[in-house]
Amino acid sequence: MAEARPAVRRRAALALVLAAGFGLVAMSWPLLAAPGGALTETTSGPWLFALLLPLVTATVVVQLSAGGLDARAVAMLGVLSAVVAAVRPFGAGAAGVETVFFLIVLAGRVFGAGFGFLLGCTGLFASALLTGGVGPWMPYQMFAAAFVGLGAGLLPRTPDTRAGRAGEVALLAGYGVVASLAYGLLMNLSFWPFALTQGGLAYVPGGGLDENLPRLVAYSVATSLGWDVGRAATTAVLLVLTGPLLLRVLRRAARRANWS
Amino acid sequence: MTVPAATVVRPLRRRTAHPVAWWGWALLLATAAGRTANPWLLLLIAAVAGLVVAFCRGDEPWSGAYRVFLYIGLSAVAVRMAFYVVFGGSDGPTVLFTLPSVTLPEWAAGFRLGGNVTAEGALAALYDGMRLATLLVCVGAANALASPRRLLRSVPAALYEVSVAVVVALSVAPQLVAGVGRVRRARALRGNTSRSPANLMRTVVAPVLHDALDRSLHLAAAMASRGYGRAAGVPARDRRATGTALLIGLFGLCAGAYALLGTTTPAPLAWAVLAAGAAAAVFGIAYASKRVPHTRYRPDRFGPKDWAVVASGAAAVAGTAAALALEPAALWPATSPLHAPPLPLTAAAGVLAAAAPAVLVPSAPGGTADRNGTAPPAHPEPTPPQEHGTTRSRSTPRADGAAPPTRHPAPPRGGRAAPHGDAPPEGPR
Repeated sequence: MAEARPAVRRRAALALVLAAGFGLVAMSWPLLAAPGGALTETTSGPWLFALLLPLVTATVVVQLSAGGLDARAVAMLGVLSAVVAAVRPFGAGAAGVETVFFLIVLAGRVFGAGFGFLLGCTGLFASALLTGGVGPWMPYQMFAAAFVGLGAGLLPRTPDTRAGRAGEVALLAGYGVVASLAYGLLMNLSFWPFALTQGGLAYVPGGGLDENLPRLVAYSVATSLGWDVGRAATTAVLLVLTGPLLLRVLRRAARRANWS
Repeated sequence: MTVPAATVVRPLRRRTAHPVAWWGWALLLATAAGRTANPWLLLLIAAVAGLVVAFCRGDEPWSGAYRVFLYIGLSAVAVRMAFYVVFGGSDGPTVLFTLPSVTLPEWAAGFRLGGNVTAEGALAALYDGMRLATLLVCVGAANALASPRRLLRSVPAALYEVSVAVVVALSVAPQLVAGVGRVRRARALRGNTSRSPANLMRTVVAPVLHDALDRSLHLAAAMASRGYGRAAGVPARDRRATGTALLIGLFGLCAGAYALLGTTTPAPLAWAVLAAGAAAAVFGIAYASKRVPHTRYRPDRFGPKDWAVVASGAAAVAGTAAALALEPAALWPATSPLHAPPLPLTAAAGVLAAAAPAVLVPSAPGGTADRNGTAPPAHPEPTPPQEHGTTRSRSTPRADGAAPPTRHPAPPRGGRAAPHGDAPPEGPR
């Protein structure tokens, strides 16, 4: 199906790739830092990345929106961010119920990777502003959610037949499960060195991959396995239940916006 | 803007500090908290943050954030203690009680669960948890004090499109709730009372979403017809230069981070590459902001009081830095042997200085709503005629603080098409 999407230019794509690399390092540095490297000698590593991540996000957003965002894309982005911010509180409180990702995945699928990335950023930012939840976790959440939307935009096309549409929903649900689990692991990684500093599950500075990976896995299982599985399940269920309808609604909006 | 001092009208209400100043103050206080594990000092920092919040906050929806973050901080302490009891940590000679212990097999990471719970280890876990909790409380203070809508006006102009999208989001979210009510009422009037999820999806969710998306297209048409989004006179050369600076910045940041992870690159070189990358990225954003033709409606200036707020936060950091030089043992009290940690006086003096905003910028009795776009409808001050006017007011001198409610976080370039606060966006229907 030839879909109308806001355009992403080549330079913006390169910026996205670079930011993805930086974001991955910023979140998974506890596993990647080699013993004896500059990061393991000081205690400034986590703060450094927590400060640089917003800068990188801002850089990518500037690059993505430079000349490429017209009024229709901005308005659509705003309205969908409002929807994200409005459905997010439904997931708060209940363990692992995540009501945000299915929207970001569907919007990324319909409007493209660049739009999905921006929606991940602005949606979580707007909801944090509305609920007063701006904290040190927000840059990581924005960045990880942005990549959930980006990945959804990069999924392969499916034929516009009955089987193709069913396959599309199945594809999105499968992607939703993978993305939710990866999101949980990345969020754990970003918070783990701050949350615990001693004991059997804590990050060992300079411990290397073989020392820290079992600790991270044990920490994830002990603290957040229920949340991660719940998030993956609710995302997949919501995608299957609402996918066919919402894809139609969003595609109609994309057609009417007439992006050429 | 130069206004002779004699002509400055005394503001009717004192204005609260700039949101950037509040965030700077809170982050500096958090930095001070991150550099110590002394429980008295941490309690003092949390108390100072609470005092300033109590004196300076308005009565907006986000003003209760301090209490929420206090609870989050307390739960962080509880989680840390629970982890210590179950998974162990540092040990000491004073055994409080002994739990039955299990050693996990090697394939499950080989940890020991349970075992001796010692007073020294529990105290170390408590100090550590308090440190994290104090950091969170400082962030909560910033959330309670800084108006997000005013903060959005301070984003760099290069991020302008995205900040407009966030403003649209903030104003559309309440409309969505109203839309759900309208659609449900219409559905009930048609006699549809089915509660099956499939029916609800088809008859409530779909119409609400259709409505919201159509509304966004109307809004886009309204914005475009007022001149939003025309790529006015940005030379291709400038655009290329900005893009190149941003990409070089990203390259530098990636290379620096990669070099920091490994051992082959000397650390100073890695830090230098990282710093150069960050500088290039900042330059790119600043340059991109300059090339966007962009005027601000009632610019939110960073005044002397705002600087004083930031400086009071810096005093806390200076105090802990001085204490680190003078009495490092008091900043990082040892838990073994057990003893009551002393209070480092230089650091305490610095933290107390951070309470200055409570005196400098206390909130007016009526709250601070008049400054950040959430003014109640019954506003005592008359609204000036150019309230929703154009962007000419850059040259309009105004008395500091006596600003009427403004709902424009930042007017768009070349027009007045900013989505208004909570008024529905008006488009050609």
